[in-house]
Amino acid sequence: MVTPSALVSPPPAEPSAMGVVLDLIEGIGRVPTGGTVTVELVHANRIAALDLVAAWCASSGNELVSVEGLTVTVLHGRSPDPLAGLDPAQLPGSRVWVYTNFDCNLACDYCCVRSSPKAERRAIGAERLQQIADEAAAAGVGELILTGGEPFLLNDLDALVNSCTDKLPTTLLTNGMLFRGARLERLRRMDRSRLTLQISVDSATPGIHDSHRGNGSWAKAVAGIRIAHDEGFRVKVAATLPADQMHELDPFHAFLDTIGISREDQVIRALAHRGVADSGIELTVDSLIPEVTITADGVYWHPVAADHDDQFVTRDIFPLADAIAEITRRFVAHRRAAERAAEWFPCA
Amino acid sequence: MTAPLVVGAVAYSPNVVPIWDGMRDYFAETSTPMDFVLFSNYGRQVDALISGSLDLAWNTNLAWVRTVAQTDGACRALASRDTDLIFTTVFVARAGSGFTSLESLRGRRLVLGSRDSAQAAILPVHFLREAGLSEGDVNLTRIDSDVGKHGDTGRSELDALRAVLDDRADAAAIGINTWQAIGRGELLPGAFESFWTSPEYSHCTFTAMPSLAIERSDPWVANLLAMDWQNPQHRSIMEMEGLQAWVPPRLEGYASLVAAIREQGITARW
Repeated sequence: MVTPSALVSPPPAEPSAMGVVLDLIEGIGRVPTGGTVTVELVHANRIAALDLVAAWCASSGNELVSVEGLTVTVLHGRSPDPLAGLDPAQLPGSRVWVYTNFDCNLACDYCCVRSSPKAERRAIGAERLQQIADEAAAAGVGELILTGGEPFLLNDLDALVNSCTDKLPTTLLTNGMLFRGARLERLRRMDRSRLTLQISVDSATPGIHDSHRGNGSWAKAVAGIRIAHDEGFRVKVAATLPADQMHELDPFHAFLDTIGISREDQVIRALAHRGVADSGIELTVDSLIPEVTITADGVYWHPVAADHDDQFVTRDIFPLADAIAEITRRFVAHRRAAERAAEWFPCA
Repeated sequence: MTAPLVVGAVAYSPNVVPIWDGMRDYFAETSTPMDFVLFSNYGRQVDALISGSLDLAWNTNLAWVRTVAQTDGACRALASRDTDLIFTTVFVARAGSGFTSLESLRGRRLVLGSRDSAQAAILPVHFLREAGLSEGDVNLTRIDSDVGKHGDTGRSELDALRAVLDDRADAAAIGINTWQAIGRGELLPGAFESFWTSPEYSHCTFTAMPSLAIERSDPWVANLLAMDWQNPQHRSIMEMEGLQAWVPPRLEGYASLVAAIREQGITARW
């Protein structure tokens, strides 16, 4: 005899997480590789369905693009690796910038981080810099770059720099104007085989340089280059030029040749509209390949905006590998978003 | 310069275009260039092959067997994917349903895919028959979506799986490729499990009419077989087409389908 309970129909199947995958497979089959499909989840099993969709994407070679509420978007195939086309030197974390301090003996009218004699020091400090150097080396960083403010204002700069060069090749940015007395002695205690000095000079003659950086600053910077060379250091020169002067570089290069700066060490960059600069190129997070940058306040996207909230990434400097990974993650997301936007933008 | 061989293929998905563009680009670099023509269904493609509009047709197993039938066996199979030689049909049910064999389907509801899908309709009935089950012994439901494409879209098989999830059927017969696409039951262990897998049979193959001279087909096949999974440019095409190597066909692998067509009275044309 059949018991009444056996006659009861089975309960209707609960909304099936697997059903979403079937929808996906069907949808993906209908769009070309590179196309996207959206599927709707059911609220009751959203978490289980999302886990399943993620697992299916991983196993099937498709890419989970976004989840917004109950709507899931999946790309047919995988989008190209946004990092693949980059020069290895451009990969986030290939080098790490550190602002040792923000105060400066100069008050340049285009300083991207508003440094001046009145700026707060906001020093990174010996202990943190040591940990940065240790963790950077462990994370596969290839170079440390120390900048400010003017690092030579720090009384422990030799120890700071040596803690970096002990771990990694290091470049120290300076205006080159303070190589006297105790500061020169500190310079002499730095490791010439691992340290490059990068000194700012903006023009072949004093006029333009001094107009931005103060009277007499050009002559002192050029003298600083000579001292650094005499002390056996490799010196790079970095110039910051307004975009309208970028076309007339030959005389400047010729000048740098005469003071012994090799062509590969002549760095010329466009003025950025950041800090106290009232003009210059606009550099935003989504248009700028990141350069992991650390200040006393945390981690920033790029050294050009290390005093600007829009490029602040995280207060947590450590673990440094996590900060690098977070910047890499955001960079990949920006590039993918840009690629998707490009796909949507009609040509005509 | 040698005139390109014209290859027919069925456009079962938009991705067919990049696959054959890739094939054409590959062959353009060889001694045997090719071009391709896309068809909306296999019936038209086989007609075009037999009428001489095509040099070669990329045929499903059903399209191959039908070409054989319509040419009294005069057509030739030239090459297949490695995956075509080991195709299987998988019978699946909700996990824990208690199916242990085809025999355990007696009196239960089995959902099949499109009637022209060898893997999801024609061969499953053949395998049931071999297990001693006639169509009356199992309550069969057929989902005839995308008829004409011989199950290539997989849509009817996905619909069959949905029918199981929705409790409109107890079990489904699907191709191994669809089973792999849903993760072989490993993604969501509670959803599906397979309870019977068929013997291996052959699936797609390049088909030529006797009018295509061996002197033209052999070098083309040699170049096809030379595609190399380790070569990134070849690999992207091979990944889209679902193979790691092109191989000579295995003709004995079509015997089960020939028997199924005879048993089920499936005509040589559709």
